[in-house]
Amino acid sequence: MRLSEVGRGKQCRVKELYLSPEMKRKLLELGLFPGQIVEVLQDAPFGGPVKIKVGDYCLALRKSEADNIEVEECNVQ
Amino acid sequence: MSSKVIKVAVVGNPNTGKSTLINALAGTNLHVGNWAGVTIEKKEAFLKYKGYEIHLIDLPGVYSLGNNTAEEKITIEFLIRERPDVVIDVVDATNLERNLYLTIQLLELELPLVIALNMWDEAKAKGIEIDYKKLEELLCVKAVPVSAVKGEGVQELLEAVVEVYESRGKEREEKCVLHFEDYLEEEIKYLLEKIEKIQPVLLDLYPKRFLVISLIEGNTFFIDIPISDELNREILKVRERLEKMYHKDIVSLIVEERYSIIISITEQVVKKHKVKKADITYILDRLFLHKVFGLPVFFFLMWLLFEFTFELSSPYIDWMDSVISSFIAPLVAHWLYEAGASPWLRSFIVEGVIGGVGFVVVFVPVLFFLYLFMAFLEGSGYMSRAAFLMDRFMSVLGLSGKSFIPMIIGFGCNVPAVYATRTLEDRKEKILTVLMIPFMSCGARLTVYAFFVTIFFREHKTIVIMFLYLLGIAVAVVVAFVMHKLFFKTTSHHFILELPPYRLPTLRFILRNAWIRTKAFLYEAGTFIFATSVIIWFLLHIPIGVKKPENSVFGMISKTVAPVFEPLGFGNWQAAGSLLSGFVAKEVVLATMGNIYSGQVVREGDLEEIDLKEKLIEIGKGFIQANIEAGKRLITFFGILSDGEETLPVGENRSLVETVRNAFTPLTAFSFMVFLLLYTPCVATVFAIRQELNSWKWAGLSIVISFTTAWITTFVIYNIGKALL
Repeated sequence: MRLSEVGRGKQCRVKELYLSPEMKRKLLELGLFPGQIVEVLQDAPFGGPVKIKVGDYCLALRKSEADNIEVEECNVQ
Repeated sequence: MSSKVIKVAVVGNPNTGKSTLINALAGTNLHVGNWAGVTIEKKEAFLKYKGYEIHLIDLPGVYSLGNNTAEEKITIEFLIRERPDVVIDVVDATNLERNLYLTIQLLELELPLVIALNMWDEAKAKGIEIDYKKLEELLCVKAVPVSAVKGEGVQELLEAVVEVYESRGKEREEKCVLHFEDYLEEEIKYLLEKIEKIQPVLLDLYPKRFLVISLIEGNTFFIDIPISDELNREILKVRERLEKMYHKDIVSLIVEERYSIIISITEQVVKKHKVKKADITYILDRLFLHKVFGLPVFFFLMWLLFEFTFELSSPYIDWMDSVISSFIAPLVAHWLYEAGASPWLRSFIVEGVIGGVGFVVVFVPVLFFLYLFMAFLEGSGYMSRAAFLMDRFMSVLGLSGKSFIPMIIGFGCNVPAVYATRTLEDRKEKILTVLMIPFMSCGARLTVYAFFVTIFFREHKTIVIMFLYLLGIAVAVVVAFVMHKLFFKTTSHHFILELPPYRLPTLRFILRNAWIRTKAFLYEAGTFIFATSVIIWFLLHIPIGVKKPENSVFGMISKTVAPVFEPLGFGNWQAAGSLLSGFVAKEVVLATMGNIYSGQVVREGDLEEIDLKEKLIEIGKGFIQANIEAGKRLITFFGILSDGEETLPVGENRSLVETVRNAFTPLTAFSFMVFLLLYTPCVATVFAIRQELNSWKWAGLSIVISFTTAWITTFVIYNIGKALL
C-alpha cells in the first residue's frame, strides 16, 4: 500500500521509499525511515499536499511523493 | 586579568526557537549581517559572563549536515574550519527524536557540545518528560533545560558553556562514542586504517569519525583536497560490501543506523504521559487547512494584513511627511540661506538630498507595520500553512507552495520579497519566483493609484484598485507559465515542508524582527534610492541655470522616450519623465509629476523664519496625534468597518490635481496605472535581484521581461478601451 492511499486519521508504518537519492536522503533524515509510524492528518484542496504526523511533528508532502512511499497498515492505538 | 574569549556556535533545526534563544542570551548586543557571498542571515553577539567574553555565532537552521543546501554548507564549513570552542545545539524538547539526528552528527564531528533542551515548558505541558541527566550520561555531553521565550535556564546554559570550555582538550572517553552495528563499525575501522596509509593528510584536516562516515555516505562536498584514486577505490569497495551485507543502499543504511541509536536513547530518556489538554495546533489546522474553508480563510487573512498595514501606517506616513517637508527641509534651507549658500546648492540639498532621503524615510512606517504583521505570521507558524494551501496551484507553474510566501511579501514591498526567496532550494524555482515578484503590486505603487483614482475614478475606487492588484497576479502567472514552458521545463519540484505547531510569538520577537528588517531596508535600498534621486535632480538642473524642467537634460531624455508611450495613450514627455524616475522607486512618480507640472525649480517660499522650539512641539503633538489616529482606526476596524471619509495623502496638492486632470483622460489615466503596475521593478528591487540571484543577467532580464509585458498589456487594454468608449 502507498502512503497516498492511507485514509485520513489512519496510522501506518513506513516500509520503503521509492524516490530519487537526494529526496530519499532528505525524507529519511527527517525521520521517514522504514519502521517509523506515520499518521495521515489532512489533505489540501484540489489534490494538493498531505499533512502527515511523523513521530512528534507534522510534515507536508506532495501527493506524488506520498505515491512513492510504501507503507503497511498497523494498529497502534 | 584579561578576559578569555569563548567562541560559541549556535546550531539547531529550523523552528526550534534558536533566534529567540540568541536574543535571550545576547539581549541588545546583536549584530545582524549576511554570510559572505550568500544572503543568509548571520547573527553575532558578544556578551560578558563571569570574566569570560562569549562570542556567539548563530548558524542557519538545518535538519542535518548531509545535504547540499546553502544553509548546510555554511554550517558544516564553519564548524570544520573555525572549530568553535563550544557548540550549543538547540533542540526542540517537544520533538526530541528528529532533533537528535543533528546532535548525533555533531557528535561525529567531535566538537565540545552543550545541548539546550528548548521549549522545556511546552514539552512538560504536552506531557513529555525528559530525563536530561540520563541523556547527558548517554551522550557524554551537558544538557540544559531551557525556555528561551520565558528566559528560563539561560544562566544555567551559560554556566554549562563555561564548564565545557574549561574542560576542553580532554579526549572523549571511548564509552562515549556512539557505536553503529558491529559490522559497520568494522568497516569504519578498516577505512580509517586505509586513510592513514593512503592519504593521512585528510585526518589532519577533518575530524576522523565524521570524515570516514562522510566518505562512506558519499557526502564529501566539504573536502577541499582531491581524494586519491586508490582511496576512492577502497571507499567503493567498502560501500559495496556494506550494501551487500545489509541489503540496502548506503545512504539508507547510515541514516537508519543513526536513527537506531536515537531510538535506543529516546526509549531510555523520554516518557510520554497522556494529557487531557486540547491540542491547539490540531484544532487550528482543522480550520486553516480545511479543504473548503482553508483558502477563503487564507484570503481573508491576507486582506486583513494589508488593510491593517495601510490603515495603521498612514497616520504615521502623514506625520513623517510633514516632519520632513515642513520642518527639516525648510530648516535646512533656512540655515543654508543664512550661511550664504547659492540657490543652486540650496536646491540641490533641499530637493535632491532631503527630497531623496525623505522618500525613503516617509515610506518606513508602511514597511514597519507590514513587517510587524509578517513577523507575527512567521512566528505563529501560519506561513507554512499558506504554502501548504497554495502548493497545488503553484505546481502548475513548476513552482512549489514555498514560493508563494515571497509573493505575499511582495504586496508589501518587492525588496524583502526578493530576499525571502532564499528559502527556496531549487535554483530554477528561485529564478522563476523572483521574476514573478515585480508584478506583485507593492505599497509604493498604491500611493500613485490612490492619487489617480481620486481624480478620475472617485465612484469606483476600490474596484479599480482591486482590478490592478488582480491584473498584477494574472500577468505574473502568465509570464511564469510561459517562462516555465519555454525555458525551464522543470519536472515538478518536490515539496517537503515542516508544519510547526502554532505558537503565539512574543511582542519582543515581533518588534525586534520588524525593526531589524526595517533597518536592513533603510541600509540596502535607501542608499540606492538616495543616489538615484540625486542623479535625477542633477539631470533636472543641467544645463546650469535651466528654468523649465522641459529644457533640462531630464526633459530632453523624457521627450526622446515619450514616443514609446504614444500607442499606450500617454505619449507626453511629462508622463514619460515621471515613469523614468519611477524606476528609482514607484512612489517617486508622483513627486516627479509635481516637480514637472508645477514648472518651477526652486521654491523661494520655503525660506520663512522658523521657530525651532515651536516646530519641535508641533512635531511632538503630530506624533501623538498620529498614534491616536492609528488607535482610532484600530478600534473602528473592529467596530465593523465604518467606512468613513478616506483621507488620501495627496489631498492638499490642488494645483497638481488640476494639471493632471487636464493632461489625462480616464482611459489614459487607467492605462498609465496599468503600465506603472507592470513596468520594470524599481532600482532597489533590481539590486536585490542581482544580489539574491548573484547575477546581473537575471536582474537585466527581469527589467526586459516586465517592460515588454507592461507595454503589450497596456497596449491591449488601451485599445480595447478606445474601441469600447
